[in-house]
Amino acid sequence: MEQSRDDFVIAIRSAFLKKGTQQRFSLLGLIFFSIIFLILGEINFKPINYIKIAIKEIAYRSTFIVSGPEKIIGIGFNKITDHINHYSNYKNMEEKLDKLEALDLSNQIITLENIKYKKLVDDYFIKNNEIFAKVLIDKNSPFLRSVVLNKGSKNNIKLGMAVLDGEYLIGKVVEVNFFTSRVLLISDINSKIPVSISPNDVQAIMSGDGKQNATLQYTQGTDLKNNNEDMMVTTSGAGGLFKSGILIGKINFTEISTTNNLKVNIYKDFSQLKYVKVISFTKEEKALDQTSKDELKTMDAQILEATKQKENIRILLEEKKIAEEVRKNIEIENSQLKRKIFNLQTKLTKTEEAVEEQKKQKENIEFLELNLLYGHKCRKTIFNKLYKVGTPEYKKCVLQKGKM
Amino acid sequence: MGNLRNNNIIRIFFEYFPMILLFVSVMNDLDFNDVGIKYFSFNFSYILIFYYTLKRKEALGYVSLFIAGLFNDVIVGLPMGISSLLFLLLCGFASYLRNITLRPNLVKDWLFFLFTLLIINSFSYIFLVFIFEYDIDHTNSIINTLFTFTFYIFFTYIFHFIENFFVGYRNAE
Repeated sequence: MEQSRDDFVIAIRSAFLKKGTQQRFSLLGLIFFSIIFLILGEINFKPINYIKIAIKEIAYRSTFIVSGPEKIIGIGFNKITDHINHYSNYKNMEEKLDKLEALDLSNQIITLENIKYKKLVDDYFIKNNEIFAKVLIDKNSPFLRSVVLNKGSKNNIKLGMAVLDGEYLIGKVVEVNFFTSRVLLISDINSKIPVSISPNDVQAIMSGDGKQNATLQYTQGTDLKNNNEDMMVTTSGAGGLFKSGILIGKINFTEISTTNNLKVNIYKDFSQLKYVKVISFTKEEKALDQTSKDELKTMDAQILEATKQKENIRILLEEKKIAEEVRKNIEIENSQLKRKIFNLQTKLTKTEEAVEEQKKQKENIEFLELNLLYGHKCRKTIFNKLYKVGTPEYKKCVLQKGKM
Repeated sequence: MGNLRNNNIIRIFFEYFPMILLFVSVMNDLDFNDVGIKYFSFNFSYILIFYYTLKRKEALGYVSLFIAGLFNDVIVGLPMGISSLLFLLLCGFASYLRNITLRPNLVKDWLFFLFTLLIINSFSYIFLVFIFEYDIDHTNSIINTLFTFTFYIFFTYIFHFIENFFVGYRNAE
């Protein structure tokens, strides 16, 4: 007993205390060090925090390098999966495309109608100058939210032009130099944009909050706080600088009740701007003269044509659906008929066999009856040279009632 | 001459192979702790450490285990030092088994590995839940332990094969 306890202690001591060859620390020492590391880390001991930061930096960078091959394998695997799913994806896309084509036509109709009515109320703006520019400097200062573009008066940039990223408004030009220009972002405190809030079509002035978003000012006494859905903020077109309907941002209804100022979450992240569009808008000045009337007529014709096309597509889709259903029904009917034919053929064969059997039996009975009556006239005996019983000649003779 | 140099590189690679594998596994998803399959995960690092401490103790240094543990904690997001502690404890248990074993037996090693896993996971549970107030899914923890235990045999054969493959270079040393 004493011996085995000694062995246990020696083994433990050897495992935990003894330093191996090329080992600088004993296992127990490192275990204690880990525990101390854990405890000091938990109580936010400063030197440990610095070590933690350093280890994290090294670990993140090393992981980025080490995980390179794994990423390549992952990309390869995704590519293979994409190839395997290609056909089903293609089928889904085809269905979606059918639907989208119909939707696109609806969209075209609505756009044309919109243009038509805007022209009627003389509120149709067209882009008369569109310049693409690169953002040179976007360093934010605490006092000014602006970016500098690489295009200036040399490229027809003018003060007050709207600046868009994609279809989203991001600001307006406030300073024009020969080669460069400065854009005041809509998130700047000094930016005041007339906006329209959907779905209630409330008019307001939007001002930047000096950071990433904006707040609404002067909502004309309308109380938006009772609203319980998200609202979309677009330019109202008041003042004639911007056309109406350019997307800006949205107001989350969850934030409406919690804050006093109505916060607009701008769609675009200003720190990610690279290329922008500088645009100016002019009103299409046309009275309702003969030319514009003709134009309206052409537009009506276009709307009609688009409606017809939409209807045709709808009909075609319906027809396709019906044809598909008919095909399925025919297939089902076909298989049912095949099954019926097979059953009938089986029955017919059985009936024919039964008839044949009956016929044979009848013939046998007839032969036996005649055999009783006329058998002696055909049977071979020692006194005559007639037929042997069982031969076809004998049977023929019996059936002919002994007349040969 | 070139052949000699090549042999030398392979010999060095063989020497540090378990350590390289350990660091790669803790820095990648290769530790199989979260393979994205429901009810399937295992801890490759535990198998690697246990096997090599048992079979070739000099392959994994204590300090490298400690550092690998720190890296694991940073990547997984555990309190720093906990994986080091668990790796070193695992190493300690394996060393103890090595010291008391006269005739190595795979089944005995395997069962001792289960015992070690249970102790280590209990330590991990106590530290994480009672001290650092982490939430641990018991089902996943048990599944992880069971699969780690099960796969020990499988990886033992693989490591054994690799060791035999490199044995020529080892003898050349």
